Amino acid sequence: MVGRRRWTALVLLAVACLLGSGCAARTVTADRAPVAERQVRVTTTTTMITDAVHRIGGDRVQVTGLMGPGVDPHLFKASARDVRLLRDADLILYGGLGLEGKMGDLLADLAARQPTAAVTDGIPRTALLTHTGSPEPDPHVWFDVALWEDQARTIADRLAALDPRHADVYRVNLDSYLAELTALDAEVRERIAAIPPAQRLLVTSHDAFAYFGRRYGIEVAAIQGISTAAEATTADVERVAELLATRRVPAAFIETSVPRQTVDALLAATAERGFRASIGGELYTDSAGEPGTPEGTYTGMVRRNAELIASALGAPGREG
Amino acid sequence: MTADDLTIVLVAGLTATACGLLGPFLVLRRLALLADAVSHAVLPGIVAVWLIAETRAPVPVVAGAAAFAVLCVLGIDAVRATGLVASDAAIALVFPALFSLGVLGITRYASDIHLDLDSTIYGEIAFTPFDVVTIAGVDLARAGVVLAVVVLLNLVLVTALWKELRATTFDPHFGRVTGLRPRLLSRLLLVAVAITAVSAFEAVGAILVVTMLIVPAATAFLVTRSLAAMVAVAVAVGWVGAVAGHVLALTFDSSIAGAMGLVCTGCFVVALVASPRGPVARLLRGRRRVPEFFGGDVENPGPAPSPR
Repeated sequence: MVGRRRWTALVLLAVACLLGSGCAARTVTADRAPVAERQVRVTTTTTMITDAVHRIGGDRVQVTGLMGPGVDPHLFKASARDVRLLRDADLILYGGLGLEGKMGDLLADLAARQPTAAVTDGIPRTALLTHTGSPEPDPHVWFDVALWEDQARTIADRLAALDPRHADVYRVNLDSYLAELTALDAEVRERIAAIPPAQRLLVTSHDAFAYFGRRYGIEVAAIQGISTAAEATTADVERVAELLATRRVPAAFIETSVPRQTVDALLAATAERGFRASIGGELYTDSAGEPGTPEGTYTGMVRRNAELIASALGAPGREG
Repeated sequence: MTADDLTIVLVAGLTATACGLLGPFLVLRRLALLADAVSHAVLPGIVAVWLIAETRAPVPVVAGAAAFAVLCVLGIDAVRATGLVASDAAIALVFPALFSLGVLGITRYASDIHLDLDSTIYGEIAFTPFDVVTIAGVDLARAGVVLAVVVLLNLVLVTALWKELRATTFDPHFGRVTGLRPRLLSRLLLVAVAITAVSAFEAVGAILVVTMLIVPAATAFLVTRSLAAMVAVAVAVGWVGAVAGHVLALTFDSSIAGAMGLVCTGCFVVALVASPRGPVARLLRGRRRVPEFFGGDVENPGPAPSPR
């Protein structure tokens, strides 16, 4: 009898939990003043989005990014604070296109209950790249500055919709940001065009630069595909080494969010073919640099990447 | 504590309950690493679902993962049953084979997409309050609903087969003689663990499940003298981990699952030190003999104690 009573108690406990979790799932948030009278609370995912919201929102927004510098958006681990950042946000902005993995699916569903948007929503679908063997678009859209302009417009639209009384503030900030982006776009194009045509080949460990390559006219070869989970095969390394050696491309690049062993293996394989290539430097891929440094912003990160690529691949130094 | 915090604690508590009902059997049958094995062995299931349906949606992914989880545990059971390989080696033989199959599958067919355990099957407990389903007009945390169902299934299994599971856990040979079917019971238990693990991975992430299956049960093992008490204490320790772990995570803004796991491990250390059979008690009593536990010593548990 004692045993039975204990089990009954456990069943009741389980039922109570179920009911309890139901009540708890209802959103209970603190009273909030209308957004026009205070800063708009925006929660973002990647450092690039955080930076763009800072630029467009200015003093009107209080932005908090879930992911710090150097975080692979796919492997992001949430902390206890992130629950409140999401719940208390007036607006949640994320990358979308599968960049945030499972969390992205969750945010897409959350859009029905809370103002949430993927910044890539504003990009025309025809502008997206899809790799062979994948039915899904490549999410690394931020390396095409023109596509980033689309994303900046989406951010401004969402802020203006939420806080219409200050729509003109967002408009003005957006316009100055867009002007800066247009200049950056031209600058990157010019730097990449300065690379001798035969050496215009960007070799990286994983495939994050397809949009960059398309926009700025540089061929892109990656040792491994989009997935950071599968390891590169020897055949992959040999294939890219052959390409480097025959084209006599002086450098390959490592990425901030991927281990460098594959690139080291590549350089060894290239050396066996009698051609010595070097490491061109570390490119920012899935996140910008430390806040407060020039690379901590989106524009700084893109500029730094372009400069590294151009100088390592033999573009003459910048004038002035 | 906000409503979100309450949801997280309740979901973790349900995980603790589902796991605490099965964990003691795993610890006593020396299958403690089973959940860890399952967490890797599901990879080919995810690749297979991708190849067949090109989807990463939760339902097909969980189904594919569950199929390989069951294959994994039955494989371990089969290797063990040969009598030539011990339990630990059986686990270590089966899951790397399945994981390798998954890695080969990704390299061969899916290197151009992000197909990995983190982005498909492993959930994150922090996000459970944001993933809701509406049932009869009430918004429920989806993870809570899934885990409540798992708790009920495990409860039914363990209560219905309590005597049989207990007898075969402590002495499979005795069980066979008395007409029980130890192999069948063992398989049922392992399949329950596989289903529990996969559903809970999807709801709250892998590390919390691996922790909740074993650490509370191992803690309970140190401080109880009957199987029923061991199960009850395992569930209770899991709940302590859920509540205190969440408070810890909020205080230090850390990973929620990590903090809960750490609290459970803390409970284990306290139990180890303060157990009636632990070093402190031994020093106080001034004797070295390990008192009788479960009718035998820890290395070789004897038959179960007679029912009270």
